[in-house]
Parts: sequence; C-alpha cells; structure tokens
Amino acid sequence: MQYARKPDPVDVLIVGMGASGATAAKVLCEAGLKVVGLDRGPWLRSREHFSGDEIKFLNRTYLWSDPRVNPRTVRTEENETAVPTPFSMVPQMVGGGTVHWAGWLPRPRPSDFRMRTLHGDIEGASLADWPIGYDDLEPYLSKVEWAFGCAGLDGADAHEPYRSRPYPTPPLPPTRAGKRFYKACEKLGINAMPIPQAIVTKPYQGRTPSNWTSFWNGYGDPSGMRSSTLDTFVPEALATGNLELRPESYVREVTVGPDGRARGVLYIDADGREVEQEAALVLLCLGAVESARLMLLSKSRQHPDGLANSSGQVGRNATFHEYLFAVGLFNDAEPLYGFPGNYISGGSFQFYETDHDRGHIGGALIGASHVGQPINWNFPGRPRWGGAAKDADRDFYNHAMKIGHTLHDMPVESNRVDLDPDVKDAWGLPVARITHKAHPNDIRLAKWQVDKNVEILEAAGAWKTIPVYLERGRASGNTCHQHGTVRMGTDPATTVLNEWCQAHDVDNLYVLDGASFPTATGVNPTLTIMANAWRCAEYIADFHAKGRTARLPQPATSSN
Amino acid sequence: MTSMADWPVVLAPVDPDSEDRLFFTEHEWDTIDAATARIIPTDHHPGAREARAVRFIDRYLSGIGHVYAAADGSGFLGMSGKLADAWRGRIADLGETYRQGVRDLDANAHRRFGADFVSLCDEDQDAVLEQMSGAPKPAPVALTSDGGNPTIQVYAFDDGLDFFDALVTHTRQGFYGDPVYGGNHDRAGWTVIGFPGPESLKDTMDGTYSVREYYVQDYDWRDLIPHLRGEGGS
Repeated sequence: MQYARKPDPVDVLIVGMGASGATAAKVLCEAGLKVVGLDRGPWLRSREHFSGDEIKFLNRTYLWSDPRVNPRTVRTEENETAVPTPFSMVPQMVGGGTVHWAGWLPRPRPSDFRMRTLHGDIEGASLADWPIGYDDLEPYLSKVEWAFGCAGLDGADAHEPYRSRPYPTPPLPPTRAGKRFYKACEKLGINAMPIPQAIVTKPYQGRTPSNWTSFWNGYGDPSGMRSSTLDTFVPEALATGNLELRPESYVREVTVGPDGRARGVLYIDADGREVEQEAALVLLCLGAVESARLMLLSKSRQHPDGLANSSGQVGRNATFHEYLFAVGLFNDAEPLYGFPGNYISGGSFQFYETDHDRGHIGGALIGASHVGQPINWNFPGRPRWGGAAKDADRDFYNHAMKIGHTLHDMPVESNRVDLDPDVKDAWGLPVARITHKAHPNDIRLAKWQVDKNVEILEAAGAWKTIPVYLERGRASGNTCHQHGTVRMGTDPATTVLNEWCQAHDVDNLYVLDGASFPTATGVNPTLTIMANAWRCAEYIADFHAKGRTARLPQPATSSN
Repeated sequence: MTSMADWPVVLAPVDPDSEDRLFFTEHEWDTIDAATARIIPTDHHPGAREARAVRFIDRYLSGIGHVYAAADGSGFLGMSGKLADAWRGRIADLGETYRQGVRDLDANAHRRFGADFVSLCDEDQDAVLEQMSGAPKPAPVALTSDGGNPTIQVYAFDDGLDFFDALVTHTRQGFYGDPVYGGNHDRAGWTVIGFPGPESLKDTMDGTYSVREYYVQDYDWRDLIPHLRGEGGS
C-alpha cells in the first residue's frame, strides 16, 4: 500500500455525493463551510457521456455498480449462505441514483411519519414513529422541488397534503397509456394525476427541456432536462468555491479519536494510494446499504461493534420497496406506444392510506407506465424464443402497459445489512450481506394492490392481464430504494441517530441518506431523502457549526 | 489509472458491411448464426440473421473493446482500472460459455440427428435448442397461459448466464440494440416492432431525436381528471 501526503483537515467531509450528499454540500457550501466531498465512483460529464444507448445503460454496467467490483449478497433466512445478487443496486458515482432515475418525485404523507402511533405494535414488525413530522419537512420539500426542478399538476391530487408552494413547472403531456389509465380511473371513481417528476418542462434556471428521447429511466440525461444532483446541486456547491470534490475515492473506514469522536476517513484514491482526510464533521451519504456497511467496517476499540453502534441497531430494520405490478396486454387497434414517458405517467394516491377492510395496514402510490424499451421490455410469461417470441414482441410491444407500485414494506428488526463473512469486493473488503424476508403485511398489501391494478387495467380495456405478486415473501431487490439500517429517533437505546440525523454515540457524525428512515413510507424516497438532508444540513450550518445545539419538540403522541 | 470520465474513444463503430470474424472460428460463427436465426426467426419480417446478431455477439466476445460505445457512437470506450478487470473476466467467461455451447449444440445434434447443428433443418435445430433450454419450445401468448419469470429488473446483466440463456439474451440485444454494436442491421429489429429508434446515438444527445409526437397531442387535463372539474374521483 502506498500512502499519499495527508491533506489538511476540513470543516466537513461528505462521503457519497448522490442525492443526499450533494444536497448537504450545496447547503453547507452556501453557508460558507469548507467541504470535501468523496465519492467511490466517477464524476461523469452529462453532455459528453450520456446518450440513448439501451445496451450500455440497461444491459451492461456503465452506470450500474458492477457486481464483480462491488458485489452484494442476499439471503432470506438466518441459516442460509447468502448468494451474490445485484439487490437494490444504486449507481455509485457523483450524482448517485439521481443520474439514472426516471425521477419520480412524490411527496410523503403525514401518516408516513406516525406509523407506530396509528397502528401500534404489529407482530413481527418494528414500527416506529419518526422524530419529525410532515410539517417539519414541508418547507424543505418545497425548497427541493424549486431548487432541483420538478414538474407536476397543481390541484390534480385529491389526497394531497398541505404544500406551501405550487409546482415549479407543469407536467409532461399525457402518454397514450396514461390517457387509458386516466379514463379507466374515471370510470372506477379513482382520482388520478400526473406523477410529480424531477424534470423541467419549460426553460428553468438555465435549463432547457430538450430531451424528448424517452431514453430516461436507467439512462443519464445529456440535456439537463431531468433533474440530477450531478447537474444541479454539485455545480452549485462548486460555484461557491467551498467544495473540493474527489471522485473515485473509496472510503474504507471512518477513523475515530481516543474520545470516540470521528476524526476523519481513510480512503483509497484513484491511483490506489491510501489517504487519511481529517474533518471536524463527517457526513455519511452512501445510501442505506453502504452507509450501514461502512459503519460496520469502522470497528475500533471505542466502537467494537461498529461505529456509533452501542444500540446494536446499525444495519437493522432495512426496507427495500419491492416493485410489484400488473401488466395489461391489449389487442385493439389503437397503439399505446411503450416508449414515451418511460416509466412515469399517470398515478394515484387513492389507495395510499390504511383501510382496515382490506386486511392490511398501509397502502400504495400506484403508477401507470410503459413496459420497457425494445431489448428489455418484458412481461411474465413472454415467450423467450422462436416464432412465438417474435410475435409477442410484434403484437404487444406497442400494445401493453403496466400499473405498479413500490411496496410500503414493514420494518422488521432481523431484515438487515451486515458484513458478509466470505465475499469481498475488488478492494478486498467484506461486502454488504442482506438478510430479508417479507413481513406478512407486505404480502397482503401487495396482493390487494396488484389485484386492484388488474381491475384498473381491465377497465382500461386490457385483453389479458398478468399480476406479479410478492411470491413467497422473497423480494428481488428490483428498486434502488433502500431505507432503515441507521434509524433516527429519540431513544439512544433503540435508535442510532437523533432527529437531526446526528449519531447518538458520536456527536460529529451524521447519516443523511435514506438509512435514517424509521419506516419506509409508501412513496419513492428521493424527495424525502433530499428534503431531510437539506433540513439536517441547515441545522449543521446554523447550530452545530456554531457550537450550539437545539432539540426539535416531539409530539406527545409519539411512543418512540 | 485513467478515470472513467476520461476513457478515450478507441476503435470505430462496427462497419455495417463487415463480415470479419474477431472471436468465432468459421464453424462457430456459422453455428451461432444458425442458432440466433431460430431464437428470432425470419418470417415476413427480417430476423436475427438479417440483423447480423452473430456479428454483434462476435464483437462483444472479442475482448473488452466493444463493451461500451462512445456516447455519440463515434467508436468504443477504452476501459481501464477495476472495471476493465471485471469486464476481462466476464468476457473471458462468456467466451468460454459460447465455445462450449457450440460443442454442446453439435454433440446434441450428432446424437439425435447424426450431423452438425448447422446442417440440420429448422425443425431439428429447434428440437436441439428445446432440449438445451430445458423447457418446451415457447407457445404463442394466449389468454389463459400462465405467467413465468415473476419479476422484472430494470437492469439485466448477463454475468454467469448459461449458454442457452446467454444466446437468447444476446440475440435479443443483437436484434434490438443500437446498430453501433454491429447488430440491428438496417434497424431491422426496431422496424419489426415499430420502435422509431434514433438515426444515431449522437442524435439522442443534442435534441435531434424526439418521440414527442407519440405523446397525446390534444388534451385538456380537466377532461382527463374529474377532480380538476370539481367532481368525481373522490
């Protein structure tokens, strides 16, 4: 191992420059703090590196984390040997998951923050209230929507909670599949609306809506029309002169001083040299899986079970939002065209809140979408080869749509991230091992909602519908959504972070990604992650960095 | 090490008229060509053979030079570092999978029909492929047919696939992927399914390529969403 000269200490060190890290960098740099941002992956240049190449972006590993470089292992039961599986993979690069996403930007709902109060103890689940509520987050949801760029239709969502500002830009036009969805919903008395999306549809803050290729979900956007932190918050943080960004810097350990406080990090730079960077404050923003893994890798005399893990809760209560859906195949003459819109079209919050008559708690935001692009479009039972396969592509590629939801899965203490005892990554470090078995409520919720989606597809005129349930309680990890693992709460015995996402055990360590979520919420998490990172970064700038502290008043009903 | 952001553009796009073999022997080429033609057969529309799926696979297996096209399609990226190491291992494994796969196709063909796979008729080739696939040859989509593979991944890696699965996966990529990789000759695959793909990857970068006309053109949100009219839909 070669060692590089030790750089000067900085105010704030951010590990992971994706959704949360870049948001924190923007807020802290604009507040005048000196920040070093490290990212394991490359710093790509959107206009130069991204285009509509399905093979490169969806079938090879240009943005996706390469499973031979960064493997991950998965098992369902405690006594199984975990198998290498690309489970809940997120691009590991500057911009993180906001580079490749479709850009679903729905807001969470007030009930998401109070699951324990609303439902009490659910057997086998570890429900908890958040130490913040919707009202605490609302101003930051608006800040993100406006600073980042968002499209939505004011007044369309009948179930929308309070919002202090309208949408900054209007929605994309409806797709043909979306129009079918709206008409079917009207027939069934369901309130549907365009899904809020991280995209700008009119000239906005120097950005031009010029990417109408529909090479969106899974692709980088060469135009800057879709909102990514790579194209927004990262350059804005750099413009302050206060951010130094070091890509391809792999952090292997958070180091601590004799007092147990974070001293900085050890990382391997692009040339393979080990570097120690000291900082007054360390923010972990690697995503719920990798932040937990880094904390567990950072064992020391002061933190024998991993960093800030006196509760033993680091890695636990992981939730993953399995994507479940029903596909409709249509045999009428009017094509639906699968490609425009690309995974984001009409949706509904009609079924989001708990209705005990359904036999489960929680609910789902549903969304109508296309079924994919030419190589990768798919439906269960699609013939794989021969004339039947060619006919299926020819007959249904432009005559199919899907209604899906990401599963609001219950937190379960044994569903967790820990270190795999055998499998190592390309740097020789133990990889994240995921142990995950769905809670019975997950299976019931998925079944009810998928059946409802079938009903809507039938109302839309589908010739054949194909439901995809949560089979055998085994999630495939087919979304990038990951939460839990480093929960926030008020009790240091049962949670790792306080309401500012500051570690109870280590006062100069914060975890700002989805790891802090006590429960999964039923919405795509990035807006909530970014708003929460903004809120916590503002606390760091206004209080922590000035040597002050503050507590957030807790509602009396909170049982946590 | 060269950062991924600075990988140079090397080589050139695959020449649409080239018949050069970079990886397969002549016999392997002919065998895989015949096999891809059974995976996506030629009918009143072109199939994998006309799309040159075999050339797509040959280029892919020829090393790590044809893994990632440059964003604008002007050539391919010259990889380095840990990702290049990972791809060298992956391509070497897949290459061996294909070499063994050709041997297995011929062994099966000889055992059942007494000739190399490539010289069998379509029906006998299908019988060999059916046996190697471990499942009946797929039937057309029917109203009552069962579902299969229960879930869908946004991404679909080919790492570790067995020969038949790799053949199906790569034939599909060679039929529907961007022509810069050597398949989808004359945009054959896109034409068959009615996908208006771009003329070039560069056109997807600068706003030239657009599918805007495929959205609904004339609409009023109040027609689509009763709630905006102050009625219905809860």
